[in-house]
Formats: sequence, C-alpha cells, structure tokens
Amino acid sequence: MENFAHVDELNLVLQLIESGEKEKLMELLRERLIECGWRDEMRALCRAYAKKKGRNNVTVDDLVHVITPKGREKSCISVTSNFAISTSASSVPDSVKAELLLRIQSFLKSVPLDAL
Amino acid sequence: MSALNDGSSPPQSPVTIEQRASRCFDDLFESIIVDMASECHRIARLGLDRNLEEEEEELRLSAQARMENLGSSSEYNSKNVADIFGQTHPAIPSETFDCMNCGRPVTAGRFAPHLEKCMGKGRKARPKITRSTTIARNRHARGSPVTVFAPYSTTPNNNIIPDDTPRTGGEELANYTFEKP
Repeated sequence: MENFAHVDELNLVLQLIESGEKEKLMELLRERLIECGWRDEMRALCRAYAKKKGRNNVTVDDLVHVITPKGREKSCISVTSNFAISTSASSVPDSVKAELLLRIQSFLKSVPLDAL
Repeated sequence: MSALNDGSSPPQSPVTIEQRASRCFDDLFESIIVDMASECHRIARLGLDRNLEEEEEELRLSAQARMENLGSSSEYNSKNVADIFGQTHPAIPSETFDCMNCGRPVTAGRFAPHLEKCMGKGRKARPKITRSTTIARNRHARGSPVTVFAPYSTTPNNNIIPDDTPRTGGEELANYTFEKP
C-alpha cells in the first residue's frame, strides 16, 4: 500500500508540474500570503531573530524553524482542526488555507490520476 | 508506473482527497517558507536591511560610549564631551553672581565651597562670628535660660575672633540686647 501511495504522490506531483497547476498554485499562495500580511510578519520575525542572534550567525535552517508554524506536522485534514492546532505566530490564515485546499482538491478531482 | 491498485476501489482511497490536498498544500507551503527563509537570510547576511543595521550600529555606539565613560568621566560629569546640542562646557563654570547668604560676588564653580564657609556647615568652616553668636555661646555656657536661636554649632570659642572679611549679620536671633564687652 505504501508504494502505491508514493506512486500516487509522484503522479500527482508530475501532473501538477506538467499542467502548470503547481506553478499557479504557488503563485496564488504567495499572493494571498502577501495580501494578508503573513509575509511581512515572517520578515519581522526573521529580522528580530537575526538581531538577537547576530546578523552573521544566522543560518537558513534557523530561519526556517522560526517561520515554520509549530503545528505544521500535526496539520490534519479539515480546516477547523488546523486552526486549533497551529496556534503559533506563523500560522497561515484559515481563509487562505481553505482557498488553496479547495483549489487543490478540485484539481485532484478533475484529473484522473490513474490515467498516466 | 500506472499500477495504483486494483480496479474495485476508487482511485483516491485509502488516502482521501482531503488528505492529499492537505499534503500537497503543505509541500507548497514548505517551499514558500524555504523561499522566505533564504530571502531573509540573504538580507540579514548582506546587511541589506537598513533598520537592522542602524539599530546594530546604535547599539554598538552606545556600548562603546558606555565603555569610554567607565574609563573616564561619567555621564553626569561630561567634561569636554559634546552634548546632544553640540555644545561643550568648560569643566568649571565661570559665571559670577552674588551669594544670597553673604552678598559677595562668587564664581559659580566655587559656589559650593564658598557656601561651606559662608554658612558654616562643612568641615574647616569657621562659624560666622557675630556679636549675637558670641553672646549666645557665653550665655549658654553660663547656663542662663535664654532662648537663643543660634544656628551655628557650638565651638568652645568664646572670644570674638576678628576676621578680616566684613560680614553682614545674616542670622536671625532671639530678642535680647547685649552689651558690648
């Protein structure tokens, strides 16, 4: 079963890329995150972290951890439970997440994955 | 490559669409996070963030100033250090004015020591010898019940010490008359 899941994912990824959907989704997500101020918040967090730790002591890894919401690993299916779990400062607004999820789901439904 | 599972089950199970969508979203989000992190990292390392730089500089300068101040003068002393208006003041203020106690012209920088002697408070200060204080001391020594307001500390000095500086009597005294000895 595991293998199938991986193959599934691979197919999905390939399809996304090939159809250009992945790029569109990325753009959409980026745009929404800028609009809702998430990007500025994260920039401020990174700035504060860099100031505290010293400008030259910062690594990309550090910043990734700064930005990554704590509940990300536990993020599960529905939007509502996501809201409950990811309560750190860098949680994405629910509306943004919901929109993206819907978009992805519709894409998944539209493309028959076994047809590859 | 296309062998997903057997034809009986729907293509999307056992993993539901929501789960896959969620995973997909997480991937997208992670890419964006890494993008942001590397961008901020670049800005931080290259010092492109003006505010950060300025703040760091200010912190460094104030730390520096503090170190220097520890070595020499303190903040309040501020000798030969330009203040925020860019003015420097001489170490000893040289303005002159009149002492409100004795009325003599006094240099501002010497005002405190002058007051010490003038008001007789500090060490090595001679109390102002006037007739009233002398009488008061004499009377006290003899134990006579006279209410005297003699502000100076008692020194066993019953003589009138002639001092060369002309003084005007500045103290309040109780009402009694005296005879010039």
